[in-house]
Amino acid sequence: MIRGAALAALGGVTIGVALLLLDRSSDSPPVTRPSLVAAVPADDPLAPAPAPGLSIPAPRLLANGEAVSVWAPLRASAVVRAAPSSNASALGTLPARTPEGTTNIALVTGNGVDRQALWVPVRAAGLTGWISRAALGGYQTVDTLLEVDTRAFTATLHRAGRVVFSAPVGVGTVDAPTPTGDFFVRNVLTRYSSAAYGPIAFGTSARSETLTDWPAGGFVGIHGTDRPDLLPGRVSHGCIRLRNIDILALARLMPVGTPVTIT
Amino acid sequence: MDTYFEQFDRDGALRETEAALPAETRRDLLLGALAGGTALALFASEPASAATKGDVAILNYALVLEYLQSSFYTEAERRKALRTATAKQTARVLGSVERAHVAALEQALGSAAVKRPFFDFRGTTENEDAFIRTGVAFEDLGAAAYKGQAHRIQSKALLQAAISIHSVEARHAAWIRYLAGTTPASSAFDEPKTMAQVNRLVASTGFIVRRPTTRSRRRPRFTG
Amino acid sequence: MRWAGSGTARKGFTVATEHSTASRSGFLRLGFAGAGTLSLGAVLASGAPRAEAASPSPALDVQVLNYALLLEELQVAFYAAALDRGKLRGDLRDFARVVVEHEREHVGLLRGALGAKARKVPRFSFGAAVSNPRRFAATALELEDLGVAAYNGQAANLTRDALIAAARIVSVDARHAAWIRAIENRPPSPQATDPAKTRRKVLAEVDRTGFVR
Repeated sequence: MIRGAALAALGGVTIGVALLLLDRSSDSPPVTRPSLVAAVPADDPLAPAPAPGLSIPAPRLLANGEAVSVWAPLRASAVVRAAPSSNASALGTLPARTPEGTTNIALVTGNGVDRQALWVPVRAAGLTGWISRAALGGYQTVDTLLEVDTRAFTATLHRAGRVVFSAPVGVGTVDAPTPTGDFFVRNVLTRYSSAAYGPIAFGTSARSETLTDWPAGGFVGIHGTDRPDLLPGRVSHGCIRLRNIDILALARLMPVGTPVTIT
Repeated sequence: MDTYFEQFDRDGALRETEAALPAETRRDLLLGALAGGTALALFASEPASAATKGDVAILNYALVLEYLQSSFYTEAERRKALRTATAKQTARVLGSVERAHVAALEQALGSAAVKRPFFDFRGTTENEDAFIRTGVAFEDLGAAAYKGQAHRIQSKALLQAAISIHSVEARHAAWIRYLAGTTPASSAFDEPKTMAQVNRLVASTGFIVRRPTTRSRRRPRFTG
Repeated sequence: MRWAGSGTARKGFTVATEHSTASRSGFLRLGFAGAGTLSLGAVLASGAPRAEAASPSPALDVQVLNYALLLEELQVAFYAAALDRGKLRGDLRDFARVVVEHEREHVGLLRGALGAKARKVPRFSFGAAVSNPRRFAATALELEDLGVAAYNGQAANLTRDALIAAARIVSVDARHAAWIRAIENRPPSPQATDPAKTRRKVLAEVDRTGFVR
């Protein structure tokens, strides 16, 4: 048997080819197979790569998107139209700002978008229709949903399809009822001083149907109270009142843009 | 993909629509956009400082680009406006990888991580052609950005991580080009881009915008 | 070590220039979260012990580049042989035609940098891997993925200039890998990161192909 000798690499300039002779029997001719790896020195000066300094998780697909809602801020006041065309009839105008001075937002109601992505179907304060894409800013998604039951006097927050919060509420009186329907949270007010509203107030896109002359548009809010003794019950002018401890908890869980379904 | 980024500033369709807005509104938009710039911190040109600070800066730079990509694909998937199987698959597959990159960088940076910017992708997550073109540009850009920084990273461990992400970005760039019907590799060498070049390109898209103000300290005037 | 400039004409993507609405360009900056952090200290200080590792140096670059040269010559020979055999059609043929030219340019850059220090390269023989289109596709996929793992495995061993050049090359090899994967209906990237392989591992895999004569 003949063994070939591996030629050690000299300064990496040349590489020897090691010959391995396999000799199963004295009758069969030797088979030669060159081996590149055999020429690599045991102490390879080309060290192994260091362990990466970032730990990168396996890619994960998004979880089910059923619970996701999309909203967008208004970049400017915009006309809402009955169809995705500038010739369609105008249903109303969305102002760029809310009465609270925050950026007005609209909820995107569907996948619908025309081929050139010029028009988007939205729902906003009292208006449902199509708005120019250029009038909207960047999309945001939320996976929360608030359900307010005006007969059971409860507010329940769902996140990714699971209940994460529930509390008793006060709602509007018979004369000034909380409107029912699909709305959304459009701003958050804090650090004001008004005990009647508690520590935090959320503005919604819902409007009172009876208090049509109410200043600042007659919008319904979700907020704290200095009369927790009145909850649960029909006690307000349409707003949804929670105990202060509850509104604070809700504020940690509910982002702007959360759809609000009032039954 | 020549002159791709030019389209973003003045895409024909968007321009027509903006022309429909009243003149004062257009001016306000412009001024608003200019004013918004000062709210964001100026990104220093390559900081020459201790290894740790320099590497942190590079990681945060990478993180913003990964936020850009992951937010783009995630929004495309969530918005559900894209119709073709190709576009949907691209958003799903590439989105999952870019989100993993974001997670890795956020975890490493901890409290030093930059916050995710607010994006307006201006219709590119809703129109098939624009989506694919934007994806191509993002992946090409991501690979070029990593190439521009690799040799500046001082930690060998972080270099290793960056280099292993870089080649994935290049794979994505080729794959999405293949799906777009254009050549996956148009030349024998891919060139690096500097931070300044990348910043300029990203700025030119107009995708990073001011956060909308949805909080206020005003006294509520709801119905009560 | 002399590096050819990155003067290869770039087709396709061009850097955006100033736009008519100057308001947009220049006002946006990527956010920057300020000072260095202690939380990264542990990460940055870590990394597998490389006590026996030679530090990057021009001499070490020569070894790495010769190793890369071997792999690139293997690819050139593979694609050239496949095109010669004339059995490729459609997507695969387009792929091979473009890629062989890229690999030739890679060889050119490496030989230019190495000068007289360029290694002798073995001869290769490919058998059915270049005459059977399905075998060709599988082999191309394997070789391109292997090339990426090889370069990624050496990045930390390179000096600055060599690293810049290597990144310009591996980026295109990664494109090739994704391209053949797309043709074969495979995902472009098996994971969120590309693994690194040691020289030993890479050469052992090359040995296993049986292509080296």
